[in-house]
Amino acid sequence: MYVLIAKQFIRSKVVQLSLLLLLALGIMSVLIGKQFLQKQERTLANVTQHQQAHIARNVELHREIGLLLYYLRFTLIDKPDRIAGLSIGQRDVNPSVQSVTIRTLEAQLHDTDLNNPSNLQSGNLDLGFVIIYLFPLVVIAFLFNLLSEEKEAGTWRLIAVQSNSTLRFLWMKLSVRILLTYCMLGGILLLAYLILSLPVNRQLIAFILVAILYTTFWFAFCFWVVSFQRNSSFNALTLLSAWLILAVLLPASVNNYVANLYPVPESLAAMVKQRERYHEKWDMDKKITMDKFYTHYPQFKKYGVPQETFNWTWYYAMQQMGDDESLKERMAMRAKIKQRENASRWLATVIPTMHTQLLFNDIARTSLSSHLQLLDQTIEFHERLRLYFYPKIFENAPVKSEDWKKFKPEYTRAENNINITFALLPLFLLTFGLASWGVFNFRKTNDA
Amino acid sequence: MRGRQVSLLAIQFWKNGFQSTAFYALLFAMATITGYAAYSGWQTYRIQNTIRLHYQQQARQGWENNPDKHPHRMAHYGAFAFRLKHPLSMFDVGMESYAGNAVFLEAHKQNTVNFSEASFSTGLLRFGEISLAMILQIILPLVVSFLGFAAVAVERENGTLKVLLMQGVSWGELLVGKSLGLMSLALLFFVPIGIVTLGLIVSAEIALTTDTWLRYLVLMASYLVFFQVLCVFSVLISATSRTSNHALMKLLAIWLVFFIVLPKTTQAIGGYVYRSPSKIEFETIIEKRLVKEGDSHNPDDPHYVAIKDSVLRAHGVDSVHKLPFNYSGFVMREGERISSAIYTREFSNLLKVYEMQNSFARFMGFVDPYAAIHYLSMALSGTDFESYIHFQKQAEAYRYQLAQKMNELQMRYISNVKPGPTDKPYTISHEHWKEFPDFDYRFVTTSSALRNEYLTITALLMWSVVSFMLFVYVSKKVKTL
Repeated sequence: MYVLIAKQFIRSKVVQLSLLLLLALGIMSVLIGKQFLQKQERTLANVTQHQQAHIARNVELHREIGLLLYYLRFTLIDKPDRIAGLSIGQRDVNPSVQSVTIRTLEAQLHDTDLNNPSNLQSGNLDLGFVIIYLFPLVVIAFLFNLLSEEKEAGTWRLIAVQSNSTLRFLWMKLSVRILLTYCMLGGILLLAYLILSLPVNRQLIAFILVAILYTTFWFAFCFWVVSFQRNSSFNALTLLSAWLILAVLLPASVNNYVANLYPVPESLAAMVKQRERYHEKWDMDKKITMDKFYTHYPQFKKYGVPQETFNWTWYYAMQQMGDDESLKERMAMRAKIKQRENASRWLATVIPTMHTQLLFNDIARTSLSSHLQLLDQTIEFHERLRLYFYPKIFENAPVKSEDWKKFKPEYTRAENNINITFALLPLFLLTFGLASWGVFNFRKTNDA
Repeated sequence: MRGRQVSLLAIQFWKNGFQSTAFYALLFAMATITGYAAYSGWQTYRIQNTIRLHYQQQARQGWENNPDKHPHRMAHYGAFAFRLKHPLSMFDVGMESYAGNAVFLEAHKQNTVNFSEASFSTGLLRFGEISLAMILQIILPLVVSFLGFAAVAVERENGTLKVLLMQGVSWGELLVGKSLGLMSLALLFFVPIGIVTLGLIVSAEIALTTDTWLRYLVLMASYLVFFQVLCVFSVLISATSRTSNHALMKLLAIWLVFFIVLPKTTQAIGGYVYRSPSKIEFETIIEKRLVKEGDSHNPDDPHYVAIKDSVLRAHGVDSVHKLPFNYSGFVMREGERISSAIYTREFSNLLKVYEMQNSFARFMGFVDPYAAIHYLSMALSGTDFESYIHFQKQAEAYRYQLAQKMNELQMRYISNVKPGPTDKPYTISHEHWKEFPDFDYRFVTTSSALRNEYLTITALLMWSVVSFMLFVYVSKKVKTL
């Protein structure tokens, strides 16, 4: 019986076509992920080489350490994990490599990577997206006429008479479809594992768990709609509309809502203010700037207020003021972005598509919060460089006295601490609720 | 073909539409989404343009309020260019959220355009945004399938098709009548969106030019053609299906493939096939070229040593201090010229890669009418790729003018003799700052937008022609039962 149901199902043209399409898109998404990782790796290789050449060239060119450090850039890297190839997230817009001079940081911190806006608009077709966006469509195509096709073909009465439990028969049909979808998911994940050479770790396991639970949610949802026992057209339209609402309309509306609720003018405010506050110092009495600088760094007080027209101590104190005096705006911008994040997360909890997307990004360390962490680490890195070089500049240490070879790109890692069990709870509850309701519906009509 | 028969069929289809309660639910749902999309588009436009104008003015005030300074200080003080939104972005957001909003313009250096909406996004932006254009491009086609799937197929199922044909109605009349009926139902959803869009652009605070009106008219006309194509195809599929159930399944499958899956995949294929460099790679190339062609920040650079000799010879002096102009201003002018030319060349190479990536999706217009209207709509709304590049090019041109203006002021007004270590630095009057105009962003003109989109326009017209040809073909071939 079971084998017959399976054979009959797989013979259908629609089933074969949708499986083929899904497989093709799945492979494509994995290849896109691979290309993303390769691009990142190439960049990292270039960065290491470039930084060494860049430092060596400038060290040859400049005699004054103050002038040299005007030019020198130092790099901090948060290398994306292999699993980022499955869910590229925000890593395409927000660079994983931060390259900074010790001058005003605010003017350098938010430089974006180069991107074709058309690619960004259509979005990365990564495996995460195939799972979130396309798998449900296949589930819908498999399930919308689970019961109605029997009724419409006139076979339902036969089944009702011949089998002891119609629910058991439906369960067999359903399980064939579920099994096939899981096989498909497993197959594509296996390909991804091989093609991207993913390490088996907590991240990968979490990703797989989320993918399985999310797909199960769609099975429960379709089963619930089917349990009302309406005709095929009704089911198809209802399910497709539900998909449209969950995967397109709701996320898009939430997006517009959050963006307009929390616009980020603070970003522009910080950008304009840092320029103003640095440049105005050129026209002020040096003492004003130096006093402020020494209040921030009392340990450098001994360098005093320079008398010459131009002096590097004064120059870097002015640069420092660009950051110090736009700090309020920087913090306000950060707070605003956090608000945005919290609002989207909160709204996403009840919308499985969005929730899953955010989870995938969290697991793959490609989320906005990973990037915010990288920014924090960049601020720290920048401060470390400043504190290291400031006394050398103030004492006008000879350029050659420094071992410049030791300045290699530094690596950091923004950790995402997510409680996966807790994060999966809303998905699990929704799935369980819908499935039980569906079973209840069938029981009711069976008894009647 | 008799007009009376056709209009009777169309009117009957229209009236039938209003028979079901589902239709009213659909009207209500669409009205709600339209309302939200319009409100959200208006809000985004208002908020963003207010913010950007505010900071553009604040930055300009800062520029004008500078005291007497050395012009090169001003070249580093620099300017900002903020990208203003086109009024029609309220209709079609296009790439707005993926394009940077502000760029710092200073001497020697081309900065990235930062603070795009996408850079503040939690990753949900990839689901897309809601806009009036999105409703017309994705949702209304689904509504058209829903309204049109039964058009002919249900008559066949009920046996009324035979009766109609026996009464002397021809296949041609039937198909045209049903299509017109479906089109009029579609217009019931489309026309309000057109009117809302009109209201939105009238509400925009900037002066409306004939150019904006032209954009609006061409935009609406394009969508009319798009819906004409969709209505005809829906009716044809209904006419060639055995049952209305089959027709619906076919239409839904077509919608899924052509409106959801294909658009998501083609751009990805383009991006996959043509590899574009990262920022670091791009900057490394520019730095390499600069070192090769002449680095003005390197005192021993051979290019500048040669220039120095020839300038000295031309003026018949033996030292740069005796030149009638400020020599370092002259060197910086030369440096800016070289570095800017290198940047422009590399940037246009980069754009070529991007355009190759986009070409896949562009040609899709001939396979998928959605792709045609999608690109045409963005271009006409000033929110497409070209509009963004146009902004970047204008900002770079302004940056170059600013840097060179300051270099020329330096050459003319700054002494050639280096001041002593405790002397007051040379300055020029702050009057000069006001003389240099603020950045004034100009949108792409409609005619050049249309010229850029000749491919998609051709594709859309082709679809219209094909739909009529199929009309003729199907009305000859189709069977009654």
